[in-house]
Amino acid sequence: MSIAEVDDIGQGWAGEDADAEERRRLEKTWKVPSNPLRAWFTNVDHKDLGKRYVVTALVFFVLGGIEAFLMRLQLARPESRLIGPDRYGQLFTVHGSTMMFLFAVPIMLGLGTYLVPLMIGTRNLAFPRLNAFSYWVYLAGGLLLYVGLFTNTGPDAGWFAYVPLSGPGFSPGKRVDIWAQMITFTEISSLAVAVNLITTIFKHRAPGMSLNRIPLYVWSLLVTSFMVVFAMPAVMLSSLMLAMDRLVDTHFFNPAEGGDALLWQHLFWFFGHPEVYIIFIPALGIVSSILSAFTRREVFGYLAMVMSLVATGFIGFGLWVHHMFATGLPQLGTSFFTAASMMIAIPSGIQIFCWTATLWGSRPRLKTPLLYVLGFFFIFVIGGLTGVMLASVPLDLQVHDTFFVVAHFHYVLIGGSVFPLLGGLFFWFPKMTGRRLSEGMGKLSFWLVFIGFNLTFFPMHQLGLDGMPRRIYTYLPETGWGTLNLLATVGAGILGLGLLVFFVNAAQALRHGEAAGNDPWGADTLEWAIASPPPSYNFLRLPTVAGRSALWSRREDQAEVTGLRSDRREVLVTNLLDAEPDHRDVLPGPTIWPFILGLGVAVTFITAIFTPWGVLIGAVPCAVALVAWFWPRGDMDREVVMEKRS
Amino acid sequence: MSRRADLDVSGLPSVVYGPRASLWWGVVGIMAIEGTMFAILAASYFYLRGGAVEWPPTDVRHPGLGITTFGLAILLASILPMHWAAKAAEREDLKGIRLWLIVSTVLMVAFLVVRGLVMRSLTFRWDSHAYGSLVWTAAGLHTVHVVTGTCENLLFLALLDRGPVEDKHMLDLRLNSLYWYFVALSWVVFYCIFFLDPGLLKMR
Amino acid sequence: MSGISAAACLLLFAGHPPAHSALASAGPQAARIESLWWLFFWVCSAVFLLVMAALAVGLVRDRTPEEAGAAPGPIPPEARRRRTRVVAVATAITALILFVFLFASTGTGRAIASLSRSDRSDAMTVEVTGHQWWWEVQYIDPVPGQRVTTANEIHIPVGRPVRIRTASHDVIHSFWVPSLHGKRDLIPGHDSEDFWLQADRPGVYRGQCAEFCGHQHAHMAFLVIADPPDRFAAWLDAQRQPAATPATPQALRGQDLFVHLQCALCHAVEGTDAGGRVGPDLTHVASRRTLAAATLPNTRGHLSDWIVDSQRIKPGNPMPPTRLAGEDLESILAYLESLK
Ligand code: HEA
Ligand code: HEA
Ligand code: HEC
Ligand code: CUA
Ligand SMILES: [Cu+2]
Repeated sequence: MSIAEVDDIGQGWAGEDADAEERRRLEKTWKVPSNPLRAWFTNVDHKDLGKRYVVTALVFFVLGGIEAFLMRLQLARPESRLIGPDRYGQLFTVHGSTMMFLFAVPIMLGLGTYLVPLMIGTRNLAFPRLNAFSYWVYLAGGLLLYVGLFTNTGPDAGWFAYVPLSGPGFSPGKRVDIWAQMITFTEISSLAVAVNLITTIFKHRAPGMSLNRIPLYVWSLLVTSFMVVFAMPAVMLSSLMLAMDRLVDTHFFNPAEGGDALLWQHLFWFFGHPEVYIIFIPALGIVSSILSAFTRREVFGYLAMVMSLVATGFIGFGLWVHHMFATGLPQLGTSFFTAASMMIAIPSGIQIFCWTATLWGSRPRLKTPLLYVLGFFFIFVIGGLTGVMLASVPLDLQVHDTFFVVAHFHYVLIGGSVFPLLGGLFFWFPKMTGRRLSEGMGKLSFWLVFIGFNLTFFPMHQLGLDGMPRRIYTYLPETGWGTLNLLATVGAGILGLGLLVFFVNAAQALRHGEAAGNDPWGADTLEWAIASPPPSYNFLRLPTVAGRSALWSRREDQAEVTGLRSDRREVLVTNLLDAEPDHRDVLPGPTIWPFILGLGVAVTFITAIFTPWGVLIGAVPCAVALVAWFWPRGDMDREVVMEKRS
Repeated sequence: MSRRADLDVSGLPSVVYGPRASLWWGVVGIMAIEGTMFAILAASYFYLRGGAVEWPPTDVRHPGLGITTFGLAILLASILPMHWAAKAAEREDLKGIRLWLIVSTVLMVAFLVVRGLVMRSLTFRWDSHAYGSLVWTAAGLHTVHVVTGTCENLLFLALLDRGPVEDKHMLDLRLNSLYWYFVALSWVVFYCIFFLDPGLLKMR
Repeated sequence: MSGISAAACLLLFAGHPPAHSALASAGPQAARIESLWWLFFWVCSAVFLLVMAALAVGLVRDRTPEEAGAAPGPIPPEARRRRTRVVAVATAITALILFVFLFASTGTGRAIASLSRSDRSDAMTVEVTGHQWWWEVQYIDPVPGQRVTTANEIHIPVGRPVRIRTASHDVIHSFWVPSLHGKRDLIPGHDSEDFWLQADRPGVYRGQCAEFCGHQHAHMAFLVIADPPDRFAAWLDAQRQPAATPATPQALRGQDLFVHLQCALCHAVEGTDAGGRVGPDLTHVASRRTLAAATLPNTRGHLSDWIVDSQRIKPGNPMPPTRLAGEDLESILAYLESLK
């Protein structure tokens, strides 16, 4: 059966009239408040929140990008006096923190909250209110950081804020406190999203979507979510310790009183290394989605791909010391971490090989999303290989903390994550907005970004080997670093231009883009079987699935789920392994309390910067919000339990 | 349009318990997160202990094996009524739930009192040294959990009083108990680490 | 595309690096790392080219006959078997290469460590202490009076292993001379293991702090000057002398000002009352090549600029600007310039 025959899932099943009736009921039940202000604060729809995540994260991306460009301007020539040391310190710290905590992780998880329920065939995430709460806390963290930056209290101790520099003795003022609390906000948010995604993926899949049929994109988010659950507590705890060292004079990191500066590094990198894979693994899922759509094949080696994702997730927890080779740890220990760091190249390699095998002789359509994926191959492989170089202790001792490392991580972060992300945004834009982007502008943006990127970051390898440390606000002419730095700055301009074209393309398409239709690319996952943009309830009738590529393997008489009530927000819960129908859950509708709770959390952590009593002050609104959140509103039509008279 | 088969789910229940329920996964997720946090705190303790010249520092005195063990015993004892409350929820026995929630809440408050006494008797503060920071932070974080657990119990009691009590609350109650087991048991680890530390036992 | 990049690699990596480059090694430690680098570089380049070539060929190849015109879905079983074999072989080769890398890397690590365990009696010990944002350098000598303290300049004899003992006075710094060795972090509260350097050729090797340590991390460089043994011995001998008594009245007046203005609170000059330890030891400041952690050449003009307002040169550094009448400034300059 060809793709053209796949129509709206659920469409026409029971005859036009019955369908229209069902549609009306679902629309009423799953309605987003029509007053925009109310909708903004009470919405719990995963698609609206997902889009909000993506847009917010892109705003932070632009801010972080502007900071990067300012740094590049300052570094373009030796002894430039454009930006002083204090400003520069804030710029690279806020750039790094923004890109990691406010852009990369939230956009990946946010896109996940948009796509996962669609791909697995359900109506919302398992915990819709928690999802709204996650967004508010994330937004609070982002605003806090930028209020700090614009009031000249931007953190300035680097994105990993090593003590003692970030401690009370050497960073007086509130700058680092703002950083530590921003971390707390974004981690709470990511942890909540992770739990939400895990539960949704485990329990809310369409009947028939057994574990071995989950789309690779969904697998990638599952692995990512597990990594979040086990990695982020480390940074929550360490940022708490740092804040307490600064605010209430604890001594966790103070060697004079039995603390240890290296403890910070261990805790931070125990989180920090998995963090980079948290950014990277969802991108691998995007690559798989795009590849299968454009090659019109299932990705080669499903099992190997899944095992590689899982292996990367596991090994990712055993590498953190490779960020600390220069601290002079014992050689035996460091060899272990070298071995582990190199081992992780094997699952990455397997995935590259499987994708190559997928592409092999597929005569793919070279549309913009696929171009970004091809760009990903080129850049990520370079970045991965420089990673393997860094994993070698002797080599790392030379290039650690130099621009070589800056080059490595932009190759993997931008090549490995941002390229697939841009491709993915291009790919799913029609689904999210109902409009198609212009291919011409898409290709133009790709080439500008690709060339600009390499021009910016390739020379940095050489700069690092030539002795240029990172995080320096200027350098002397005698060092000979001027030419390559100028080249990098020019490249950053081209890169920025390419991104500008990307955004202009999106803005134009929003206004007068061609209508997308359900399935503009002929792709294989469930989201393509429904309208673009999807209705608030997603599927008229929940689908069932007969194979890995839900749409390509769809039979003419593929069963659909009936019997769910449409007068309350009912969803089907299935069992973990085989996704057999298990029970019907009722999801909550729009509510203000997640927002109030987010506000309470914000009050707690922000006042805590100024007084320890903040924790108690903030506890009040939090408690009120939690009680209200929990208290039954009787709108779910649940059964009431009566006191038994005995 | 061809006629499709259907998969009628109207007969399925809408409240189930244990790993079948979505919320169970949510609560287990939170336990995994907080468990990881506690584990990392414990690891930090051993890391600092390993690098220390003297551990615990000389001004530290054991707050007393008796009172700390007594506190732990109360905490562990509170698991039982919580378990019975969960059992009662299984039977939808509101009276039983109320009874066992009250009993366990009393135990929780008693534990908090003992916790307060122990903390007051400590010879050091969080700002005395890294050892003090660790003990106070672990105890503080754990106390926050106990207080939260107590408040949750009070909330359920209020709900039982005011109603309407829905079938879904039976699941909530059972998960509330599950979470409490976690809170209570996690202190066993810190109790062993702190109060059975051979170095500290010598300092009585 | 890949051809261009390979050309770019060659162009970039095979240039003439200055004397602070990991690819211009001048000592056994750095030389070992450099050869390890080239191994990694060539193997990784080959891997990259192969992967790109496979991708390019895969892109232009036609669909297999059994697949042409087929509906979207899984790759046909026959093709799948062939590809599984290829992927497995590629994975095996990857593992093999990684083993080679691991082996070479630990081998190099061991070789460098064995250079360090050198128990040659002629090894000498230099203590390097990082300060925000300069380097204190002390030559250890069993005879207390023979200790030499200087700043931002480490003289070593060519061909002799030198033991570097690092410490930090405030935050984490990182000691790095790319042409001689990799880096070592200076972490407060952690006495580091000894760290060994050796220069095989006379020369001036630039080093720089590599761990972000605050505002002036960018201006925390230093020089390692490797001299033939006799010149080194002469240097060390000169450094052991206390400061010469100023010969001119102007310099003498400068000394007086120096000791009685706030300078002496922070700076030490052996043989005078100035004993401050906050800033660099100035006993032989005039013999040094640079000022302010290899930021300025040591000339009268720069010295003057520095004293009048060091904040314009290194904003945020601890030394305050000093308002000095023209004559006083001239005297202090004369005095400092006499401290050969
Ligand atoms: C998306 C994020 C991402 C990814 C995917 C990676 C991937 C890898 N990284 Fe990277 N890394 C970062 C983000 C990332 N890194 C960041 C942000 C930092 C710096 C933080 C900071 O200091 O600010 C960093 C720093 C960093 C360091 C510390 C450097 C230092 O500070 O001194 C090291 C050291 O080992 C390292 C190693 C690796 C390795 C071995 C991989 C591997 O996973 C790569 C594996 C992939 C491949 C190897 C390519 C594909 C494989 C093949 C084609 C098969 C054939 C290959 C061979 C035969 C080798 N990384
Ligand atoms: C996902 C993560 C991510 C991303 C996407 C980027 C993107 C970029 N980064 Fe970033 N970077 C980091 C993560 C990231 N970085 C981290 C973690 C650090 C370490 C921080 C630390 O040391 O603490 C770092 C550090 C870092 C440094 C080193 C600073 C130093 O050590 O002194 C530099 C220097 O060149 C740099 C440059 C850039 C540039 C030019 C981009 C570009 O790709 C940005 C492109 C984006 C835009 C330009 C914005 C969007 C475009 C428009 C709105 C169009 C109009 C704009 C123009 C025409 C300019 N980055
Ligand atoms: C508050 C402390 C302080 C005072 C007072 C002070 N200095 Fe300094 N001085 C420093 C510090 C710290 C440095 C190192 C700065 C750096 O390189 O970052 C320094 C560097 C120098 C140097 C460069 C040394 C070198 O080898 O690089 C000279 C010369 C100097 N001071 C002279 C003076 C004179 C002359 C005065 C008095 C007029 C003075 N200093 C007063 C702290 C002080
Ligand atoms: Cu010292 Cu950077
Ligand atoms: Cu890492």
